[in-house]
Amino acid sequence: MKRLQVFAALAAAVTVLFAIEPGQTELEMNGWFRYTNESESFGVTEPSASRFSLERGYVRMKHQWAPKFESKLTIDIHSSDKYAEGATVRLKEAYLNYKPGGGDLNLTAGLQKHYFSSVYSWDYTNPFKSLADAQGLCASADYGLTANGYLPAGFGEYQAGIYNGEGYKGAGKNVNLSPALVGNVRVAPLTGVKVGVSGRYNAVGKTSGSVTEKNVLGVAPMLKLAFGPVAVEGEYIIWNHTNETTDTLGAVTSTDHVQSGLCVVPVVSLAKRRFEVHGRFDMWDHKQDGEGDDGKSLLRYGAGVNWHPQRREKGKPGVALQFAWLRTQLKSEGSEPVDELIAQFRFEWSTVIPQFIGG
Amino acid sequence: MRRLIAGFAAAGMLLAGFALAGEVMVKGSDTLLNLVQRLAEQFSAVVPDVTVSVTGGGSGVGINAIINGECDIADASREIKSKEVYTAREAGVNPVQIAIAIDGLSVIVNEGNPVSELTLEQIGAVYRGEIKNWSEVGGPSRKITLYGRQPSSGTFVFFRDVVVKGEYATAMRQMNGNSQIVEAVKSDETGIGYVGVGYLRDATGVSAVAVRNEDGEFVSPLDAEQVNAGKYPLTRPLLQYTNGSPKGDARRFIEFELSGAGQQVVKEEGFFPVTADYIEQNESALGK
Repeated sequence: MKRLQVFAALAAAVTVLFAIEPGQTELEMNGWFRYTNESESFGVTEPSASRFSLERGYVRMKHQWAPKFESKLTIDIHSSDKYAEGATVRLKEAYLNYKPGGGDLNLTAGLQKHYFSSVYSWDYTNPFKSLADAQGLCASADYGLTANGYLPAGFGEYQAGIYNGEGYKGAGKNVNLSPALVGNVRVAPLTGVKVGVSGRYNAVGKTSGSVTEKNVLGVAPMLKLAFGPVAVEGEYIIWNHTNETTDTLGAVTSTDHVQSGLCVVPVVSLAKRRFEVHGRFDMWDHKQDGEGDDGKSLLRYGAGVNWHPQRREKGKPGVALQFAWLRTQLKSEGSEPVDELIAQFRFEWSTVIPQFIGG
Repeated sequence: MRRLIAGFAAAGMLLAGFALAGEVMVKGSDTLLNLVQRLAEQFSAVVPDVTVSVTGGGSGVGINAIINGECDIADASREIKSKEVYTAREAGVNPVQIAIAIDGLSVIVNEGNPVSELTLEQIGAVYRGEIKNWSEVGGPSRKITLYGRQPSSGTFVFFRDVVVKGEYATAMRQMNGNSQIVEAVKSDETGIGYVGVGYLRDATGVSAVAVRNEDGEFVSPLDAEQVNAGKYPLTRPLLQYTNGSPKGDARRFIEFELSGAGQQVVKEEGFFPVTADYIEQNESALGK
């Protein structure tokens, strides 16, 4: 009986909310304090890098203007050696969201999630970057307009949008004249089964010397299976650049530069998700016109463990410890594998400000 | 070696379960909190080898917990949303719904307030902030003070969708739970609030307003016959969700809740027993 009373007292004590209402502002902080050890062939004692850093320091502010309007601003303050101050700030989200009807459709304008491949849904259970991000194909956020929402009866989700195409780091003169078109759909036809595909097309039209980058087409099918404590998610990405080269006589030759690869992440959750054991296997082929490897094809694999002493919920901050290893092995002959070992402390909290200025 | 194997086995069992054997974790709706705690006490008296831990936080918190595998049963005073169903399905969780009681969500005023009947339209206009004075609904010329729940509450969502049908007035004071609303209205002659009918059982200083139904009749939420017949416009089931058809100790607890003894506790707590429609749905959910 005492146990019941304690739980009831805890429940009554919590006041912070998940959802917010018109006039309210949610303030959130999400930080990743990381130790990284990088070395060749597990030479942990002779590392090429050994450092502590604040890998991410997200500060988010979400304001509900009215039932149908909300805005969100996320900045990331993190360690960086690009500046003498040792840290930098980048804008990760800045958008206005509008719900036109009573359903689940949203219209979102601004710097927002980039709905291609798993780059937008990657939750860093495996603390390294998603495949598209790691291969530098596209960023997790970009400037644009999207329509996004959920299908009826919990059947799935959809997104379609038009973006700058250069990602959240691209601004000013770094943004070309052609927008990127992105579409994504994922459905869960059965419990524990999710399938989806996303596509992205960008007519680039950027000329450098005799080479004109004509367009970039990306396609990424995905599959997730989850049964009991075991979940396996995999995606395959095909990324095709079409370039045109003009020779001295004015003849134009079209070249396809095709990259493709696979990422599989199995996760076993234990003890009501307090522990997660995860693995990772990536394969990336970086070919040109199918003529073989150009030295950038690789295998990447690793494993890790996450411990969540406390998951974030109403009124409670979230705390997690992550330990992970990732080996990257270029396929080119004579390449030494590079091992990354990380230990990371993640923390997140949020609070709701009932009436923000201007709310 | 045997010790080593035994050690690994023990560690594995600890990791796989982590919760103590014979423990059922229930989390979610604050409206159901008192009721399910009482049911848990009664259940533990009958089945002492099983401990039932009950926490609140709101329906959204409970549904989130069942999706994340952090509890065995989620309490909810609203139905699961399509977004939550999708999140559950992709995580390999099949949310199965069971109704354990019926609630007549009650609109309450201070006992000194002469207003005893309201239409749904009037209540909606009051909570949207369009009606600001009691004199506009037959009461004294005094400003209306609104009390309601927080957005994580299923009752907040149900009341918004069924009654407010729009935006809550920003002046509404968001309270942590039903009891806090009862206390606030009790000490505020200008107050109006909404609570699960079970919270009126021992309440003093407040009165429940009769609400006009589609037939034009004003019905009190305390009228069990009318609520069970679906004649009270704010009748709703009080729900629990499990991952798949409930099994093991969670099933034993739910079967107790739905038994004669469990439904007697429901009545004692001021709510109403599940009706025939829900009994049929429950049996289907339990695979009977």
